[in-house]
Amino acid sequence: MSIRRRLLVWLLAAVLAGGLTAAGVVFFQARAEANDLFDYQLRQLALTLRDRTFIPSEFAEALQGEEALDFAIQVWGADGTKLYESHRSLRVPGAVQLGFTTQDSPSGRWRIFAIQQRGLTIQVAQPVVVRDRLAVDAALRTLLPFVVALPLMGLLIWRLVGQEMKVLESTASAVARRTPESLEPIATRSVPAEIQPLVLALNGLLGRLGAALSGQRQFIADAAHELRTPLTALKLQLQLAERARDDAERERAHAMLGEGIARAVRLVEQLLALARLDPDAPARRDALDLAILAHAVAQAHAARAAEARLTLEADAQEPVPVRGDRAALETLLDNLVDNALRYTRAGGVVVRARREGPGAVLEVEDTGPGIAPGERQRVFDRFYRGESAPTGGTGLGLAIVKRIAERHGATVELGDGAGGTGLRAVVRFP
Amino acid sequence: MRLLLVEDDAMIGSAAQQGLRQEGHAVDWVRDGREAEAAAANGVYDLLLLDLGLPRKDGLSVLRSLRAKGMQVPVLIITARDAVSDRVAGLDAGADDYLVKPFDLDELAARVRAVMRRHAGRSAATLRVGSLEIDTAARQVRWKGRDVALSGREYALLEALADRPGAFLTRAQLEERLYGWDEEIASNAVEVHVHALRRKLDPAIIRNVRGMGYSLVPDA
Repeated sequence: MSIRRRLLVWLLAAVLAGGLTAAGVVFFQARAEANDLFDYQLRQLALTLRDRTFIPSEFAEALQGEEALDFAIQVWGADGTKLYESHRSLRVPGAVQLGFTTQDSPSGRWRIFAIQQRGLTIQVAQPVVVRDRLAVDAALRTLLPFVVALPLMGLLIWRLVGQEMKVLESTASAVARRTPESLEPIATRSVPAEIQPLVLALNGLLGRLGAALSGQRQFIADAAHELRTPLTALKLQLQLAERARDDAERERAHAMLGEGIARAVRLVEQLLALARLDPDAPARRDALDLAILAHAVAQAHAARAAEARLTLEADAQEPVPVRGDRAALETLLDNLVDNALRYTRAGGVVVRARREGPGAVLEVEDTGPGIAPGERQRVFDRFYRGESAPTGGTGLGLAIVKRIAERHGATVELGDGAGGTGLRAVVRFP
Repeated sequence: MRLLLVEDDAMIGSAAQQGLRQEGHAVDWVRDGREAEAAAANGVYDLLLLDLGLPRKDGLSVLRSLRAKGMQVPVLIITARDAVSDRVAGLDAGADDYLVKPFDLDELAARVRAVMRRHAGRSAATLRVGSLEIDTAARQVRWKGRDVALSGREYALLEALADRPGAFLTRAQLEERLYGWDEEIASNAVEVHVHALRRKLDPAIIRNVRGMGYSLVPDA
């Protein structure tokens, strides 16, 4: 049921209940007043009759016909004989006691006043129904305006509620107009206080949605842009291979093509890794040992290091237990070591894992050119590549490292290597 | 022709260099904006192939500073930025053409030829000097109505001379047009190519004047 209909029904019911209550009160008040008034009249009438020592029978006869008369008068003699009765047809109860009484009889309920004087008993009676009718009339008169006003109020309520509900409708259409392309907040100026929290909450959601969407969009645009470089290289390398005039040339071209494909594959893998690292999804909590991880990753890059005539060692004596996503942490360390080997021309790379207080530290240090302090924040941006970056990198490695660290509540810091040269990347787990 | 290729990506750079060399151009390759400025400053290049996203100094700044110095060398921008506003900015900064990555080697070569033609004030792809007819697109040479097969360097030398018939080019100038920095040049390379051209076309087609250099004789 709509709020409008519900409000209409309840408000009209409330109005009607108010009217009925008022009528009830009026009814009882009016009856009490009528009782007082008529009792007074009864008494006055009886006293008037008492003062008349005689009752002319003609007058009695005349009274006989007035059926409409509310009052029924009876007079008895000292011996109990009825001397006079105004309404013979009405079976008015006889006097039982002096003063006011209320008596039920087959002809209805009567209010009776009886008085004794010089042997005569004078009784004046009035049907109670007369008084009740008066009270009911008063009550109905009170109720009448309510009843008359009821349809009018209904109409008014229907209109007013409808008008107020228009704000909801306009808010709804404002929400309906929002698309992924236009997520600007909904205006709260003309929105009533009751709906304001809803609109504010909605605006908050729109804001977060917009930020997430534009982040995604930016990522896709960046990714598409970044994919162009390896694809351009592939296209050119393929054409060179096609044009090759002899086997040696063809072999060279194919080797270049192979490198180009390897680079494109790496970029796509890195993009996928980054896309999978949804910042809102909780990280797995595997129990694992960073020392073992350090040795494993160093092992995996050993051949490459040897080829580049660089030393690569893992320095992790004791177990360093942490909880985290094993595959993600392996990717993190893999990226750091890959970067270190890529940049270092001479010397080597050390991978360390150790406990520190309640937490743990993972460290990769190289003897490469290092990163200028001014660039140490920017290198974590997606696709940012330092000025001296060697080719073949994707510009995504450190962005992935940062994302993985964040998911584990860890921090990544870049600093100088030992002796002020090279780069030291430190990942601190809480 | 001698081209300066400015491209920071090693794979694209080496492939483009190799492809353009196969077209008979001498191609020097630099990887950042500063090096590009330094290399372009000596004025030996017939055309610049300029990437925009360069380390140290971006391509548009390089282009603007070249034009500010009054250098008229034709510039062909090669970039991954394909937004219309980027193209407009590139062309307004003084570029002669704009090629978006990923591109095709054949298209690159064709654009290089087109830019060179426009720069030389020609719109047709065919160069005619007397009985000599050079189709610069197909790199075909016809002499007195018959096709002549030339090597890449022979063709490049002939085209350089045919570009301004009658004008003299010194041996050093010709070597610059034919060879990049990293290519070894035999001391008599130009003489060897000139000899081959005289043999294949006509002994009188290329004149050699001591102290002046070589020139094409239009009505030989």
